[in-house]
Amino acid sequence: MSEAEPPTRVSIAAGPLVGPVLRRVVGMFAARADLPLDRLDDAVLVADVVAARAPAHVTANTVDVALASSTRSLDLCVGPLRSGGGRALVVDAAVPGVGNVIERLADELDVETEGEQEFLRVTLAYAGAD
Amino acid sequence: MAGENPCSQAAREGWRVDSGHRDIRLTLPARRENVAVVRHVLGALAEALDLPPAVTEDVRLAVTEACTNVVRHAYGARGGDIDVVVRPSGRALEVIVTDAGRGIGPSPDTSGPGLGLPLIAALADSLEIHRSPSAGSRLVMSFLRNRTRPATGFA
Repeated sequence: MSEAEPPTRVSIAAGPLVGPVLRRVVGMFAARADLPLDRLDDAVLVADVVAARAPAHVTANTVDVALASSTRSLDLCVGPLRSGGGRALVVDAAVPGVGNVIERLADELDVETEGEQEFLRVTLAYAGAD
Repeated sequence: MAGENPCSQAAREGWRVDSGHRDIRLTLPARRENVAVVRHVLGALAEALDLPPAVTEDVRLAVTEACTNVVRHAYGARGGDIDVVVRPSGRALEVIVTDAGRGIGPSPDTSGPGLGLPLIAALADSLEIHRSPSAGSRLVMSFLRNRTRPATGFA
């Protein structure tokens, strides 16, 4: 990519379509960021966890995610989430025997607050050599 | 190059305004590479909704044409967004493609054969076109979900 572009936004009514749509969009943006295959797979796994857990923490009945890709880096912004929902979504990503999927896979993890709502920012990157 | 922090833009623009609908909504910069994102999402939806292959192909082609029209003609050099809303209902799948550009009509940079809209009309079971030079264009396409043959235009 030669220049920054505004984020793409996807908003999906909470329900069975969140997973299929979100994993496809995240997979495409991970590929566009030129992430290697294992990190692309990680990004899709994070998308699946967000799709499964985020509906419990959103402010309305939609799961909203903004995506921005740059060279070897993918930013996901999940929200708006209810107050406390950012941290709660991360906590909900724990899988018995595996650990916390989001914490283990993200290179950066941050909860940004804007008034009564929160946004969970997850960055997946690849800094290794080809 | 670092992309813009998507959370900053989300907060700045007050995204909660758009929340609470019952649809799938994609808002993307009007760039050629993003038409492929829309096609991928439609493919995922078609799988999840178990749409017949003939309907899936018609939806993907019609929406690709609509999005390509936005990329080529809506904004010129200044750029802008494509907004795609998908509404699965009982009998039909409604897809709405909206831009905030110059609207549908003769464009100074048009070099194509102008087949986009007739093709979309042939592929969709119904088509509404709302256009305004000041407020952009809005194409409302509806596809019957249980159709097993291609649309009339390609029968």
